[in-house]
Amino acid sequence: MGTTASGEVEKLMKRFTLKWPLVITSSLLAFLIFIVPLYGAAVYSFKGNGGKGHSWVNYQWLIHQDGFYPSLLTSLKLAVLAAFLTLALMVPTMVYLNLKGQKYKSLVDFLCILPLIIPVVSLAIGAQVAMPKILQNSEYELVFFFVIIALPYTYRALDTSLQTVALKTLVEASRSLGASWTSTIMLVIVPAIRSGITGALFLTFALSIGEYTITSLLHWETFPTWTVVAAQQNILGAIAISVFSFVGAIALLSIIALLPKRNAQRVEVDE
Amino acid sequence: MGVVRARSRIRSSGRGSGVLPLLPFFLFTGFFLIWPVVAVTLRSFKGNKNEWTLANYRPILHSGPYFHAFIVSLKLSLITALIGSLLGAFFAYVIVKYARGKFGAVVDSISAVFANSGGVPLAFMFVAAFGTEGIVTKVLKSLGWDIYAGHFTIFSFTGVVMVYSFFQVPLMILVFKPAIAGLRREWEEASTNLGASAFTYWRRVGIPILTPSFVGAFFLLFAGGFSAYATARALTVGTVPLVPIIIGTLVDGNVISDQTNLGDSLAVGMIVVATIVMAGYIWAQRQAAKWRS
Repeated sequence: MGTTASGEVEKLMKRFTLKWPLVITSSLLAFLIFIVPLYGAAVYSFKGNGGKGHSWVNYQWLIHQDGFYPSLLTSLKLAVLAAFLTLALMVPTMVYLNLKGQKYKSLVDFLCILPLIIPVVSLAIGAQVAMPKILQNSEYELVFFFVIIALPYTYRALDTSLQTVALKTLVEASRSLGASWTSTIMLVIVPAIRSGITGALFLTFALSIGEYTITSLLHWETFPTWTVVAAQQNILGAIAISVFSFVGAIALLSIIALLPKRNAQRVEVDE
Repeated sequence: MGVVRARSRIRSSGRGSGVLPLLPFFLFTGFFLIWPVVAVTLRSFKGNKNEWTLANYRPILHSGPYFHAFIVSLKLSLITALIGSLLGAFFAYVIVKYARGKFGAVVDSISAVFANSGGVPLAFMFVAAFGTEGIVTKVLKSLGWDIYAGHFTIFSFTGVVMVYSFFQVPLMILVFKPAIAGLRREWEEASTNLGASAFTYWRRVGIPILTPSFVGAFFLLFAGGFSAYATARALTVGTVPLVPIIIGTLVDGNVISDQTNLGDSLAVGMIVVATIVMAGYIWAQRQAAKWRS
């Protein structure tokens, strides 16, 4: 009895002595690695003219710079198109795959992980060699490659949420009540996998809007490539953009993460 | 295990159906993913006069600037993947153990931002913090440590290592967290009940189970660091000779080579390295999956 009691005490002691050193060490490390550079850049971006004082001058410079709005608009446009093309291509594919196309699953799985394997630089060179001229002359060619680059992430987001719903039951119920395939997908499946769809949408959008490699190698101007050019004239302005985009992205994703999640379960009950 | 396998066999058999609904997907990936890779591979074996040759591969395989670039790239990926995987695993453990609920969700999204939207902004942030006029540089200087006293600059190899670690660590957190969360409480309880100390539990149960996931994540980080382009491009403008950067300068025509298709063979070389690394990743993932389900 005595030994087990002291064992319990010892175990408790171990828990308590281990927890705080770990938490404190990791917080300190995180502070040094992540917060210090971000904070340093933020302070720097508020420097006034000639490095004196604090002001919004770098942010104002940014907005009034030639190409700010056009490049931002181009990026937004391409990112929105890529996000919706991803859905149009991947939602039917993934639904069919989970419903009837099991034997193709490993092939699709492999194709979707390929963009992680093939370096984007190599894909860009390949695109220059392989794409027909008519496509290479239009900035919209980027949309297709943004979809490809986002594929590993969209695949996983959609697959995970499809696994959580009783897909077959839903489809059979909907079909036997006389719904067509289109309305089954749009009115039954899409609402049921809403979380996966929003995930895929945001991931594709975020990746597209920040994409630099393939855009610059194919010589198009979007917001990220414009930033690099602008930085050569005004590094303070470029730092301001960077801080702005980081803080904006963190705020946006944190809000999404904190939103109450309506899960697929509820949809099933409602049916 | 047996039940799971049997069930998946039932699912996969008999339910055979047409390939037609998958045609858009296969056409899309075929044209925009497979065809570019095939095309660049074919052209990398073509000489200046469109004849078949191995000449484009000679500069990569023999010592010289292009061979050297592969060495530098591999060294960079190795170092940053090591830093990223070790620190990231530590963070992932602390987060899984002590940060749950809403705080955990916020940490997740912050990691996602740091890991993915790095690229160009990241480079400028580090210039602001650690450049010659950077805030951190000045603070450290006022504390008596001049980081620019030696050979260090943020535009050097060491600088790139620092910046890459900034996205490798959060990437590791994202990738490795599920593995740590998958360690079942029952395993720890069982081993404690059998009289094992915490140390024995980690040595005999925890670490062996996590090793495949860790190795897999390491390979993923390695491949990511090897392929990364934007950050190094924006930061160094070519002062550190990395393979992707050299391909970029060849494509932009900033460097003229007497071999027109040299960029192609460099691109294929990168695909080969990345394929080997990712084969390791897929293998390790399979090993790790044995413990799940």
